[in-house]
Amino acid sequence: MTDYRKFDPIRRKAAPLQLDLIEAYAQGRLTRRDFVRRGTVLGLSLTTLASVVAACGGSTSSNSNSAQTGVGGGGVSGGSSIKQGGTLRIASIAPANPLDPVAMIDLASYAIVAQQYEFLTYSLGDLRLTPGIAESWEPNDDGSVWTFKIRDGVMWQDGSPFSTDDVVATFERMVAAGNSGLKGVIESGSVTSPDPSTVVFTLTGPNGNLPYLVSSDNPQTVITPKAFAAGSLIDKSPNGTGPWKMTSYDAKTGASFVRNDAWWGGKTKLDSVNWTFFQDLQPQVVALQSGETDAIVEFSVLGGEGLLSDPNVHVIRLKSAAHKQIWMRVDKGQFTDKLVRQAVGYSIDRQAIVQSLFKGNADVGNDSPFAPVYPYTDTSVTQRELDIEKAKSLLSQAGVDKLTATLHAVKLQEAPDLAVLVKNSAAQAGINLNVSVEDTTTFYGKSWCPAEPADPPCSGAAEIGIVDYGHRGTPDVYLNASLSPNGAWNSAQYNSDEYAQLFKNFQAAVGVDAQKTAAKAIEELLLEDSPTLFPYFFNYLSAHTKKFAGIEVTAIGHMFLGKAGQVA
Amino acid sequence: MLRFIARRLALAIITLLLLSLIVFAISNVLPQDVGRSILGPFASQETVDAMNHKLGTDQPKLDQYLHLLKQIVTFDFGDSFQTGQPVSDLIKTTLQNSAKLAILALVITVPLGIFAGTLAALRRDTIVDRVIVMFGLAGSSLPEFVTSTFLVVLLGTQLHLLPPLANWPPGSNIFEQIHYLLLPALALVLVYFGYIARMARAGMIVALESDYTRTAMMKGISRGTVIRRHVLRNALLPTIAVVATSTGYLFGGLLAVELIFNINGLGRLLVTAAKAKDLPVLQAGVLVIGIIYMFATLIADILISWLNPRIRLGSEG
Repeated sequence: MTDYRKFDPIRRKAAPLQLDLIEAYAQGRLTRRDFVRRGTVLGLSLTTLASVVAACGGSTSSNSNSAQTGVGGGGVSGGSSIKQGGTLRIASIAPANPLDPVAMIDLASYAIVAQQYEFLTYSLGDLRLTPGIAESWEPNDDGSVWTFKIRDGVMWQDGSPFSTDDVVATFERMVAAGNSGLKGVIESGSVTSPDPSTVVFTLTGPNGNLPYLVSSDNPQTVITPKAFAAGSLIDKSPNGTGPWKMTSYDAKTGASFVRNDAWWGGKTKLDSVNWTFFQDLQPQVVALQSGETDAIVEFSVLGGEGLLSDPNVHVIRLKSAAHKQIWMRVDKGQFTDKLVRQAVGYSIDRQAIVQSLFKGNADVGNDSPFAPVYPYTDTSVTQRELDIEKAKSLLSQAGVDKLTATLHAVKLQEAPDLAVLVKNSAAQAGINLNVSVEDTTTFYGKSWCPAEPADPPCSGAAEIGIVDYGHRGTPDVYLNASLSPNGAWNSAQYNSDEYAQLFKNFQAAVGVDAQKTAAKAIEELLLEDSPTLFPYFFNYLSAHTKKFAGIEVTAIGHMFLGKAGQVA
Repeated sequence: MLRFIARRLALAIITLLLLSLIVFAISNVLPQDVGRSILGPFASQETVDAMNHKLGTDQPKLDQYLHLLKQIVTFDFGDSFQTGQPVSDLIKTTLQNSAKLAILALVITVPLGIFAGTLAALRRDTIVDRVIVMFGLAGSSLPEFVTSTFLVVLLGTQLHLLPPLANWPPGSNIFEQIHYLLLPALALVLVYFGYIARMARAGMIVALESDYTRTAMMKGISRGTVIRRHVLRNALLPTIAVVATSTGYLFGGLLAVELIFNINGLGRLLVTAAKAKDLPVLQAGVLVIGIIYMFATLIADILISWLNPRIRLGSEG
């Protein structure tokens, strides 16, 4: 029952897009979780969100034990509190490349860089956004202009004052570097600072997800000083505005940080943080279980299963959009008929894959990039299930008696195991797939998206293969790069005008109803055309001993420690 | 002896040149797109081309080889493609760590293996002999990653007798470092003990059955003196050769052990460099291991020629 006495004043103060969201929630068209998630994107404060939820007869707190979504942290359990002092010892994979915040591409680098450098916004639990260097933000009526208010008290660790010019310069560097999240969203000159506490993003078109694109979900957007030159390495002259100051860094062995006493967020509980780098998962697990380290940034079920049942370890499970795609060439080869591609889709046992590869720590996919984690994903679209008879029937309709192809898989994470499972289940439908597991250089360079021929991109791709994609706070990159005509990573060579229009609709949709409607149309079209299969979206797993709490992680490798400490 | 050493050193320089050619050839056999490896699959081709140009990997092969020769002469291999750190720093650090482990393993294994092999030969066909031979065989037939994992689980995580990983805290003194290195060294001892013990045993048996031993015994010299002065001197020649060839491997080939115990050693450095197409690190690392091999065999040759002057005289004649 809605309390209109409390509800109306909030509605009167809301901007049009915010009002659209509030109405959707009040009318029961959004779950509370989706409302909170979406509300933070549109710049509604937590106080306003709580007031709306209360006016509609609910509460913003959640006691769910299931996996958190997007980003989240190990809260203090059992009512225990965090004490001051101590050092947290973290196990992490070693960064693969120099610590260049503009060009970094690996999760370990993201984590190290984000200890010192901060984002405008942070993408936290349930894909909720929380303030970072920006203390608030709001869109204009159609979501084409976003205004961010920068907080007071931010200082660079070298003592120089922070200014909005640093923010503007950072995003100019993003444009120059062709940042994949912001490409086509902003251009040079799009970001301006009309006054010392305001930054305005004037977009190339309406975009309801901009706050995600300038958040920790887009790791390269850490704010660096105006004078920072692209290509500079942060370990050479450590700086930043964040809670930790780098005292040592060795790309092969580890890094050390001490508290930044000038951090705007206040005094951290921990005195220092030590990172130890590893090349493999197994020694990290041993290190955590033997007490040599206190936390492990990320682990997979394959290799880290023991942690899931270790009574001394707290496992953080984040629902994410990370997945593997099975692409099939729609323009040439044996998969040009969509009936054949659908047959491959029906021959995959998604539930069995989720169980065998992830012990249930994954969501079943429905052959579109709209993962269950996204609030606008329409789960009413019929789920594609294993149906061998239907697969056989589709092959028969397509006039295919015998199909033999090489399934290329990158030698990374569980992709080789997935390839074998797909091969075995497809064989039941009469599709013979020979698995070719390839090292990353061979796979990315020859099978997935060869540099030549360059036009259209990826037109030299193999006819079928499995490629990995990491988590994103919005599906725009997947929808654009891997499925759009001329998409940079469109190895299926899917070229559909109808899809291109639907994607435009989705990008332009700002209100929650419009986004859900646009998403549903794409989901249904991709299910029908099946250029690329999305069998699952796996949870991001992180762990730490129960002696520590307050550790927050993201599904793209961050570990935020501003609130972390030892349990009293 | 000095002439002998000078000749071996001259040979070593020629070997080094040949090694540089082999290293260059092998590193160029790897699938080549260094820029792509560094920038990742999602970087544009223009950016990748610019990176390759910056690194010089788009230059003609002859130019690249001449550049490598210059680097060898000056021992300046530039910066790592992967991390941006000076290659000499990376090699120095990892070589130190590998050397600590290798030396610790050798210090334990060599005397232990020679003692056990000698004992087994002197007690040939007794229970002592059989126990030593069987134990050695079992140890050396297990791969390093099996013994390492077993030791980590048993002594590291279950009994907590030794640190399961070789990550000593910064500022640790040499004794604390040895404490952290004991478990990986033990894994190597298990593997190499049997190897050395069997070589020592076989050498001892041959020497004990030789005419000069029999003659010495018949001259009335005590058994202990015969063994010390005549038998061991000859019996150890094959063992020294085995230790020498193992040394290079102990410095640069312990990938499994270094991964399991998280040791920042030369073997791990080389594998990550090979994966990342980090050619300067790869080339410098392989050359360093080659040099270690050469010095180890040189020292072994000197030792052997000292123990058995006929070898030196033969090569000089």
